Amino acid sequence: MRFRKYYKIFRVALIERLTYRSDFLLTSGLRLLPMVTTILLWSAVYGLDYDKEIGNFRLTEMIAYLLLVHISRMFSSMPGLAAGIAIDIREGTLKKYLLQPIDMLGYLITYRVAHKIAYIVTSFLPYAVLFFLCRDYFERFPDAQTLAAYVVSLLLAYVIGFYFEACIGMIGFWMLEVTSLLYIVNTLNFFISGQMFPIDLLPRPAVRVLKLMPFQYMAYFPAAVFLGKIRGEALWQGLLAEAAWALGLFLLARTLFHFGLRRYSAYGG
Amino acid sequence: MGNVFRYVRLWFAFARFALLGELAFRGNFIMKMLVEILWLVILLMFYRTIFASTKLVAGWRQDQYLFFVGCYFALEGLIETLFLENCQDFSNQVRTGNLDASLLQPLDEQFLVSCRKIDWSTVPNFLMGAGVMIMSLAENPEWRFNPWQLLIFVAVFFCALLLAYSFLLILTSSAVWMIRNQSLMELWWLFSSLMRYPREIFQSNWAWPIGWVFTFLLPVMLVINVPANVMVRTLEPENVLFIAVATVIMLGVSRWFFCRALRRYRSASS
Repeated sequence: MRFRKYYKIFRVALIERLTYRSDFLLTSGLRLLPMVTTILLWSAVYGLDYDKEIGNFRLTEMIAYLLLVHISRMFSSMPGLAAGIAIDIREGTLKKYLLQPIDMLGYLITYRVAHKIAYIVTSFLPYAVLFFLCRDYFERFPDAQTLAAYVVSLLLAYVIGFYFEACIGMIGFWMLEVTSLLYIVNTLNFFISGQMFPIDLLPRPAVRVLKLMPFQYMAYFPAAVFLGKIRGEALWQGLLAEAAWALGLFLLARTLFHFGLRRYSAYGG
Repeated sequence: MGNVFRYVRLWFAFARFALLGELAFRGNFIMKMLVEILWLVILLMFYRTIFASTKLVAGWRQDQYLFFVGCYFALEGLIETLFLENCQDFSNQVRTGNLDASLLQPLDEQFLVSCRKIDWSTVPNFLMGAGVMIMSLAENPEWRFNPWQLLIFVAVFFCALLLAYSFLLILTSSAVWMIRNQSLMELWWLFSSLMRYPREIFQSNWAWPIGWVFTFLLPVMLVINVPANVMVRTLEPENVLFIAVATVIMLGVSRWFFCRALRRYRSASS
């Protein structure tokens, strides 16, 4: 019965996502443009020297990394989640979750799964074309164990991305306006998660600090796993740390929701 | 002429009201500026990281590339200040039917739709971008002040601003057909990625068709490239003339597209 409730949420969210197809297709198509410019920029930086290494990445590995980061972000990015939660809190519309036999975080994570599946299915073709055209940048396909670790890291990236954004959104129980905080967090995240370039290119002290934080798991870590940059014991330690962050953010989100509801007055809505 | 002054006076009135609105929420205003400063810091760190590994990027030296970054930041700041928030609002107005109120005003619809709101929190972006440009010129051992060069740069920069505006207007107008265009900021960010880097990076075997399309058909790559070239590399008269002509054509095309979009608009009962 409980599963059926969340299945219906999933189905409705999927239909809603596919209703405005032209907006979706235009965005999916334009998402290829930054990838093209990124490949060309780094080719220019390396001067087409395929043996040159920058931060332990050769040209082919750098471009493969930047392509794989898009896959990581496909799983970990949650556009509008934090802002949506903050708006629900501020405008009182959060009460719709409280009046129904449904858990808000359970609803939202199911809703996002549907959106992610819709996004992956509908953008599969342009990404497949792009990866096919760039197949020469992938020197080798990872073995079964590395591939399994990669898949696990992507699933955990989804959990981390969701609960991180949910926690930011639930700061709205204590602060009237979280949009500005969200801008700062997203802007920083774009850099420190490794979306612009591998965080290994930064100075060593910065790299040591950033690798202790959860942001790397939203972009850098899965891509580095696929490329074989993180192997053996470091790989299992990394996955364990990622799982720990996922669990920690899950618990934090639940705690914030519990204590936030105590303060919530449900004005408006 | 009187009509033009009327629009100029109106624009100043809009700017004044927008500033009063921003200053009513000073904390939010300061926070938005901090975000933009952070973004500039990230861009500069990215640029420094690249040039820690190479002396040239597609023929651009470090000081020249820094000017390019400053030019991009300044122009993007002006776009965000003058137009972006209005264009973002347009898709909501189309969806909710509130565009009717704008269409009933005795004013040009394009002016009202694209110029009503001024985002003062992004004005510092223009100033910071200008600061980066000046800093790069100071680092450039070959650059010497030339008033004619500066004048041409300002004129070409203005053309670039109008060219970028015309692309933004076309993207915005598509909201009438797509109804839900909630991701205009993202669409603009994705599209403007083409002007974020020197167009010389598109000179490889497989990339030159893309470079050709976005230079001669949809000349978005000229937006930062030509002004930056004028100031710190070579002043190529043909490129200056080309961007001027492209600006006039694209302004006409975007105007036509916008008017087509308005004819397609059906109110959603405001």
